[in-house]
Amino acid sequence: MHKILTVAALMLFTLGTGLGVAQAADKPHKAVYHLNSADIETQKDVLRNANNHISAVGKDNVDLRIVMHAGGVSMLRKAKTDESLKSQIDELKIKGVKFVICKKTLERGNIDYKKDLYDVSESDLVPSGVAEIALLQEKGFSYVKP
Amino acid sequence: MSQGKRYSDEFLNAFVDNQLASEEKSRAFVEISQDENLNRQVCELRKMHDLVQHAYRVPPAPPASTNTARGRRRISPRFGVAASVLLLLGIAVGREVRLPISDLQPPLAEVKTTGNAMTAIRGSGATASPASVNVQTAKQPSVLIHVTDNDTSRLNQTLDDIESLLAYYHSAHQEARVEVVLNGRGLGLVRADQSKFARRIAHLQNKYKNLTFAACQNTIDRLKREQGIVVRLLPGVTVIDSGMAEIMRRQDQGWAYLQV
Repeated sequence: MHKILTVAALMLFTLGTGLGVAQAADKPHKAVYHLNSADIETQKDVLRNANNHISAVGKDNVDLRIVMHAGGVSMLRKAKTDESLKSQIDELKIKGVKFVICKKTLERGNIDYKKDLYDVSESDLVPSGVAEIALLQEKGFSYVKP
Repeated sequence: MSQGKRYSDEFLNAFVDNQLASEEKSRAFVEISQDENLNRQVCELRKMHDLVQHAYRVPPAPPASTNTARGRRRISPRFGVAASVLLLLGIAVGREVRLPISDLQPPLAEVKTTGNAMTAIRGSGATASPASVNVQTAKQPSVLIHVTDNDTSRLNQTLDDIESLLAYYHSAHQEARVEVVLNGRGLGLVRADQSKFARRIAHLQNKYKNLTFAACQNTIDRLKREQGIVVRLLPGVTVIDSGMAEIMRRQDQGWAYLQV
């Protein structure tokens, strides 16, 4: 009997720890923005939409990811020389937005993320942008395609 | 055409349930896509299949009442208080620690295996149901890709995307289901008279048995009505009643959605 209770107490504590972590990590709103267009207007739309989205619900309430693949990656190439694009991206990053880049696209286009793209690190890369969007939806992210 | 007679209901059901050998399946695919009646029949079956699956998606509730009664008998209220305090303490610690989500898996798995202890605790008034946390993870990845454009370079990119998606899941040793829904101008990708990708599509269909191309009947009807075009589809392309309805059905079933 004592043994069972000790185990139960341990489990309960573990569960509580788990729940606490889940609460801390899971923001109430989760959204993935899909950017595959090379068109600068569409790219600016994505940034604008994301910014408005955050204003509407508050930056602490939303986990927002912008997943770029195919033509979408060119936004970060343009940002290297476009100051206003740069500042829009910086602003979103400060608000907690994650910019996610498809590794496949980099390989296919022979793009060196360190040299050719604005402010990208290894941890921003995913093996497949499309798969990442699918995985995030499985985790409860809403899909937005501006 | 008299192909409808050649397939029994059992065969068509097996086809819809994805229980055919791949050779048999691809042959059926070709014949079904060329026979309008057969195609409709399959479409109906598939709808029924989805409805049935949908109906069973919600797992039956556990027999909570008996567990509760048993739990209450075994544990005194004092332990209930202690349990609640422990749980709260755990939550507090958890919030402080802020581990990445992936680190959650081992402790949760542990909790699940100790079912007896859990039911006993649940009876004592703690509000926790770990069972629901892990249910989703074993699901087969399912992705719907919506094509609405007929621009050649974009379609080329779309096929690249589909291929990299399938390759990704393949390398992760997962059998993903991918359904490419074509409506509006997107139908051009699978129109025999228009598509520049017939070969590539045939190759993909051959390579990935869980990949389907589904053309929208509404679009086909509209082309006939407005422009007098009788659409012929590439081999292996199935027909669905409505692209938009399919998108809603699939999302309702938990599929991921991407518009390319």
